[in-house]
Amino acid sequence: MELEEMKARWTEMSATIEKQKQITDTLIIKMTQVNYRNRLSKILIPELAGTLVSFAYCIYIIINFHKLTSWYMVVCAVIGLIILMVLPVMSLKAIYNMKSVNIAGSNYKQALLQYAKGKRQFIFVQKLSLYTGAILMLVLLPVMCQLLAGKDLFKMVKLWMWYAIAFPFFMIFAKWVYGYYMKTTRQMDSLLQELEE
Amino acid sequence: MDSKKEFIAVIQANAGLIYKVTRVYTNSKEDAQDLYQEIVYQLWKSFASFRQEAKITTWMYRVALNTSVTYLNKSKKKGAHVQVDEGLLNQPDATDTLQEEQLLILYAHIKNLNPVEKAIVLLYLEGKTYEEIAAITGFSVTNTGTRLSRIKQKLINQIH
Repeated sequence: MELEEMKARWTEMSATIEKQKQITDTLIIKMTQVNYRNRLSKILIPELAGTLVSFAYCIYIIINFHKLTSWYMVVCAVIGLIILMVLPVMSLKAIYNMKSVNIAGSNYKQALLQYAKGKRQFIFVQKLSLYTGAILMLVLLPVMCQLLAGKDLFKMVKLWMWYAIAFPFFMIFAKWVYGYYMKTTRQMDSLLQELEE
Repeated sequence: MDSKKEFIAVIQANAGLIYKVTRVYTNSKEDAQDLYQEIVYQLWKSFASFRQEAKITTWMYRVALNTSVTYLNKSKKKGAHVQVDEGLLNQPDATDTLQEEQLLILYAHIKNLNPVEKAIVLLYLEGKTYEEIAAITGFSVTNTGTRLSRIKQKLINQIH
């Protein structure tokens, strides 16, 4: 099928669509209203919930900071606080950049450029989250254990055993997720290259 | 209220345009519903700023294609959406089996193209001039011509 032949088929199909496709007034109004709620639930709510949980952890650790008795617990708490404060902000910013494509004011090329750059940044934050998330678990568990139960997990041999068992599984998972992220990054790179041509 | 009525009339008159964009940029009925709804929402949001535009369809294609950008790399989306159940997103009834088959092949070929090529070929098939395609996509007229030649070659290679 040549392009000219495709065009002829397309015109035939368009004529059929024009005859068949009907959309009611109510449906159009519903589309604009329900969509607004969707945007809130799909993007904002899960991200904001995650950020709030992170900040709640931060406040709890800061309030009880004086209860951390050893230097290594203080180090763990500081690392945990930095990750809990920086990562959600970076993530929200990346999502905002990716979603803030100027739909009405841009042409298609500008919209694609904006989206591809935003997506690359988002993937970078996701990759960062994967590894810092593992570090966060490692440092937050002993801190919370001391604050909530008054126990020093670093003095318990079992903790290190569990960490050692969990590590290979994390590596497998990380490798799998990393592969997905790299695929998306490559797709965005190729899209950016296509736009530059 | 008048602008709402005007908007509804515009959407009703160009429902096919939105349908064709959603068909080209999605792979499932759920995504198509979601994108259709999102396009209508984005059109409504920017309806007030459209008035200065020369052609309503140019503005509609621009908004529809730009909205589809945010749907790249998306698989089935979950969540509430308006049930566009009035046959709106179904394949139009073809007059014969051969026509239906050709339509499916046509969509399959377009879906194999990258997002830029999809937009250009869609606008070309819709009968837009190089100047109109350039205005909607942001590529120069010359670049649009070059890209279309490449797409033609790519489609020939896909078919054979």
